Amino acid sequence: MAGPGRRPGDASETERNVPRPATHPGADAARLARMSEPAIPAPETRSVRLAPRFGVTPLPLTPSVGQHASGFNASLTRPPACEAVSLPLPMCEVAAKLRPDRLKVMCVKLTFPAGFEFIPPREKAAKPPRPSAVLPDETAAIEAAEGAILDEVEVRPKRTRLKPPPGTLSLQDRLFYVLQPPLEDWLAGQELVMPFEPFPYQYEGIAWLFSRDAALLADEMGLGKTMQTITGMRLLLRSGQARRVLLICPKPLIPNWQREFALWAPELPVTTIEGPTEKRKLLWDMPGVGIYLVNYEAATRDLDRGESGEEPTARGPQGPAFDLLVLDEAQRIKNRDSRTARVARDIDCGRAWALTGTPIENRPDELVSLFEFLQVVPPRAAPDLAQLRSLSEANILRRTKDLVMTDMPPRIDQDELLELTPGQQAAYHHAEKEGVVQLNEMGDTATVQHVFELVLRLKQISNYDPATGTSCKVDRLCADMEEIAASGGKAILFSQWTKTIDWIDTRVREAVPQSNPLIYHGGVPTKQREPILQRFKEDPRANLLLMSYGTGAVGLNLQFAGYVYLYDRWWNPAVEDQAINRAHRIGQKSQVLVKKFICRDTVEERIDRVLAEKRALFQSILGDAEQDAAALSMNAQEIFGLFDMKAPAKTGGTREIGPKAA
Amino acid sequence: MASPGEKDADHCAIGFLTTIDLPGGGHVGGLLVTNRFGRPLEFQCTTPVKPDKTQQILFGATLRPYVLGEVIGKTLLDKATVKPDVVLTDDDAVLDVRDHAKAPTGRVLNDGDGPARVGRQTVRVHAAHAGDEASIASRTRSVPESADMLEPFERVREALRETVEAGARR
Repeated sequence: MAGPGRRPGDASETERNVPRPATHPGADAARLARMSEPAIPAPETRSVRLAPRFGVTPLPLTPSVGQHASGFNASLTRPPACEAVSLPLPMCEVAAKLRPDRLKVMCVKLTFPAGFEFIPPREKAAKPPRPSAVLPDETAAIEAAEGAILDEVEVRPKRTRLKPPPGTLSLQDRLFYVLQPPLEDWLAGQELVMPFEPFPYQYEGIAWLFSRDAALLADEMGLGKTMQTITGMRLLLRSGQARRVLLICPKPLIPNWQREFALWAPELPVTTIEGPTEKRKLLWDMPGVGIYLVNYEAATRDLDRGESGEEPTARGPQGPAFDLLVLDEAQRIKNRDSRTARVARDIDCGRAWALTGTPIENRPDELVSLFEFLQVVPPRAAPDLAQLRSLSEANILRRTKDLVMTDMPPRIDQDELLELTPGQQAAYHHAEKEGVVQLNEMGDTATVQHVFELVLRLKQISNYDPATGTSCKVDRLCADMEEIAASGGKAILFSQWTKTIDWIDTRVREAVPQSNPLIYHGGVPTKQREPILQRFKEDPRANLLLMSYGTGAVGLNLQFAGYVYLYDRWWNPAVEDQAINRAHRIGQKSQVLVKKFICRDTVEERIDRVLAEKRALFQSILGDAEQDAAALSMNAQEIFGLFDMKAPAKTGGTREIGPKAA
Repeated sequence: MASPGEKDADHCAIGFLTTIDLPGGGHVGGLLVTNRFGRPLEFQCTTPVKPDKTQQILFGATLRPYVLGEVIGKTLLDKATVKPDVVLTDDDAVLDVRDHAKAPTGRVLNDGDGPARVGRQTVRVHAAHAGDEASIASRTRSVPESADMLEPFERVREALRETVEAGARR
């Protein structure tokens, strides 16, 4: 038990005090020797080696042990005496019982609708075509731009969260929106595959539509109202918020919607309600889930409850016939007393959306009609302009290209002031003089209709003089078309009259045959219209498309055209904007040159001034400009004013109707 | 016969379990069960849970895992109608719910250093349930690689805040 530095007699206190049993002296020595053997070599040999190095003192491991008769050792062999004594224990009380109770917790549960299980679209080998008519070389440019957008998204992903609609008080309803995934996750590469990455403002529009029971999407033409609406429907169907959707649109736009549905939501079953009455009835009664597409005329016929409120054809056996009703080009119901507006209001639906780029064409009343359809104002309501503004802020989402498409090619407007040809001039002055004289002779019996007739006659002469077959406008057009055809450009031309369009077609074919003009107006059978558009898009030799405002101004995607001609002026600037935006819309890669033909010193010049004023008034309702209580429509005073005349007062007091000296 | 995880691979239900601390003390927990694409199937939340002084003293450092994991987490999982195939949390304390849950449970990590990958993130499992790594990986195979597994927790927290505010207004 010796170690380095341990000296003889240094036995520990324990060693000293613990008695050892009496044993043979030699046995102790042998035991100690055995214990030391494995660890320490023999002391004699170690001392020789270690002494100079560590200063170890050799210690004999066989100490001599002697026994002495002290009497103490014998006492150690005696068993100890044990005695049990009873002692009273002091009693204490538990001050407090500290057992932790299990915390009580209650749960609130919210389950989500199961949603509509779609049949997944078939895999496509190649990337689908663009949503709009874009030439192949343009597609590449657009895809490159989209790639840039996607790259940006990858670096700094933006998340568009759905928000509860304003005024949603129910916690359950609010949580429904809060707990939906971000729109980007929902749409991009997960459940709802999108053929193209939407723009950020489109994500916002989709989220806004999705959370709205009543919505008026009034984006400027060309910003993708169609795509946002389709995607909004898609989300509603997928999340179980809607099962049956009715979409009413103008008849010429049915193929357009079908095409867009096939592109943006190929999994949605779309049923077009068309054909004879019996067939339509069959389609209306067909049970199931999906989108029902119908034009205004058929919807008005089939869904009219009549003044008595009888059951319409499309009413289901229980509940609302449709979960969502969408009106495209909703300005069609601007007259709240029209049958179309009444029928649209009477359709049973859970949600109502209206789409239009021009919620106000003439008067604020038109907006009221839309709000009545959306059921955000009571029937026959007459809100003032301040209330209208408040309602607009709450229920309208309107973005303009200036705000959201800062990278879009510019639109350049040019007013082409033209001098009438001598033949036109003679015809014009004769007609104007004759017309004014007639109006003077009519006196108080002259009506707006009489003035309109004169205006139309003068506008037609400004377009071309039938007697001499001359036209300053067509001369300018032909000159431009030579250049456009030579450069492979494409132009669209709008006129008010189909007869004028046919006449222009003849003249252009004679003067610029290489431009191969095509005609698209109400006189062209519906089945032939799509092929015409297809040819204009695909045939590089077809450089000019002649369209009427009525047929071509809405819903078409012609962003491959770089030139727009307004051959004559429509009464309403909103309709002109619709026409121009066929070309100036998403997908357009070059600037759009808009030429408005205005004949100098004619009624056209005067109409142009009125249109400019109406544009300003349009802004005053939807924009931030000061509002004016004046009516926005072209009133009788303004129409008579085209000839520097005053409208006869109802009392017959006004007499001054003679034209002033120039 | 396929294992439960394999059988439901395409219909994987994921439970996102997290809590928020209340300003006056206490906690509210929420469980959002989604499909593999993050679309909500069921959500439930608890009423506020506030330990008293005795519990704070007696549980000491184990109080938070006890309240968040055993009290809140277990209750939410027990009462869920749509039983999640995998439970994920973003809080270490909630991970203790694993001792009371049937489904494999993982803590979603920000840094991507976890042993099992789900979507864009990795997860770490409870030390006493190392087998969860394989279970989670197997059951979440159908989750898209691009899926952000931290994002649903933001939804749960926002919903919890909405709920608390709604309760305060009453």
